[in-house]
Amino acid sequence: MKLLRLLGAGFSMSLRRSVAFRINLVFDVLLAFTGLGTAIAAVLIVFTRADSLAGWSKAEFLVLIGTYQLITGLRSTFIDPNLSWFPETGIRNGKLDSYLLQPASSLFLASLSLSSPLGLIQSVLGVGVLGWGLTVADQPPSAGGLLSWLLLVVAGMVVTWALSVLLACLAFWAPKLQLDVFYHSAWQLGRYPTDVFARPIRVILTYVFPMALIASVPSAALTHGPRVEVLVAGVLAAGGAAALAALAWRAGLRRYTGATS
Amino acid sequence: MRTAVLLGFRLRQEVLEWSGAWWFLLTLVVQAVVAPLIGLFVWSAVYPDNSAIGRYYVAVILVTLMTESFEQHTFSERIYDGTLSHELLRPQPVVLGVIGSNLAIRAWLTFLGAPIVVLTGVALRTGFEWRSLVASVPYIVLAAVLVFLWTFMLSLTAFWTNRVHAVVGFGSQLIFLFGGTAAPIGFLPDTWRRVAEVLPFYGMNGLPAEIAAGTRDGGSLLYQVVWVVVLAAAVWALWRAGVRRYTAVGS
Repeated sequence: MKLLRLLGAGFSMSLRRSVAFRINLVFDVLLAFTGLGTAIAAVLIVFTRADSLAGWSKAEFLVLIGTYQLITGLRSTFIDPNLSWFPETGIRNGKLDSYLLQPASSLFLASLSLSSPLGLIQSVLGVGVLGWGLTVADQPPSAGGLLSWLLLVVAGMVVTWALSVLLACLAFWAPKLQLDVFYHSAWQLGRYPTDVFARPIRVILTYVFPMALIASVPSAALTHGPRVEVLVAGVLAAGGAAALAALAWRAGLRRYTGATS
Repeated sequence: MRTAVLLGFRLRQEVLEWSGAWWFLLTLVVQAVVAPLIGLFVWSAVYPDNSAIGRYYVAVILVTLMTESFEQHTFSERIYDGTLSHELLRPQPVVLGVIGSNLAIRAWLTFLGAPIVVLTGVALRTGFEWRSLVASVPYIVLAAVLVFLWTFMLSLTAFWTNRVHAVVGFGSQLIFLFGGTAAPIGFLPDTWRRVAEVLPFYGMNGLPAEIAAGTRDGGSLLYQVVWVVVLAAAVWALWRAGVRRYTAVGS
């Protein structure tokens, strides 16, 4: 409860800071529109040449892009402002020291205390595309499909947070290792169903760097209906990833010696 | 001659500086190849029997690596932190330093990304013809100039706004969509294809890749040259207006 209040207070302060710069707001809105427009256009071009791609119809693709955009927006809002460039900002510049001195979980403060509310624009647009996809689909989603989509989106968010924390934790052992660009590049792969890729990449995106769980799996649940084994696997993956992230954080802190005096 | 010598010194300096950041450069290579790889997988799924698609996208990866530009980082940040003043005081054109960084990063990306290009080419059994590869050289050179001018032009907006990364991001989206990475422009709907063939983005990526892949025998170098002239004029005008606006505080 205390952590939720902290999250709310941090979001409120960030929101007030963001809306003070209106030109930036305009830029972010425009970029969110053009980014999403480009992604949709790239897919629509494919569907001028084929009726389906790797077994996914146009409507299913729109649902996938909407889901991907929703989670990307949430990541940009709540996770990236904290963990982007963590080796430099958190470890080498000593920002982590201030978190360790505050009376709250250092993992929470380092990974969720700041936010960038303008990122939510992407999520809102994502929901719009999701709605578009559901409208043009052959049949509306079932209640079970909707619930399982919601559960899997939450699981996907937890996995996203855990992956970001795990990447940040690498900085405790290798402070100069900067993998943000790599992470954001690999994130782009989540915009397409894993069925499109060759088998080795599909295996990596499902089990090693689970981008499949971010958008493909929830979208499939929404359009094809719930599957118990997928739901269980999603929840277990989220729980396992979060536990691993917390363990890595603890191990990293034991090794950390501070960067400021 | 003096300019060439200065550029040579700057290039050497930048290559050596970047050699210490090879791990970061590798992540930039990954960033550069992801979009063409996605295009490759998507269009290979649509046309599984068309070997020209594999060849085209391998060429796109190579062209992308050889033409990547990061002036929003190497130049615009100097406007924001005020260190552009140091460059303005030197008895040499500021753009020399920008070009030096650009060429050094491209050289490293091409060197580090070459194994990916070769591996992808071998895995897809793409047979390139030497004649096409040689013919594509002038197109790739002009593409490199075009991408540099386009990115530098957008980076100059840092004189007026602190959202230069958003501006350059928008420019990159245009290259992705109309340049031939999202889809070979021959696959675009007719109207869009005609628009894409006129805009400069096709000359930045798709045209040299098509020539290298042998899917197009000859293209118009004039089309690229015209856009080089237009973008160079725009860069010159923006630079003059921007420097007049620029103010810095500090030593």
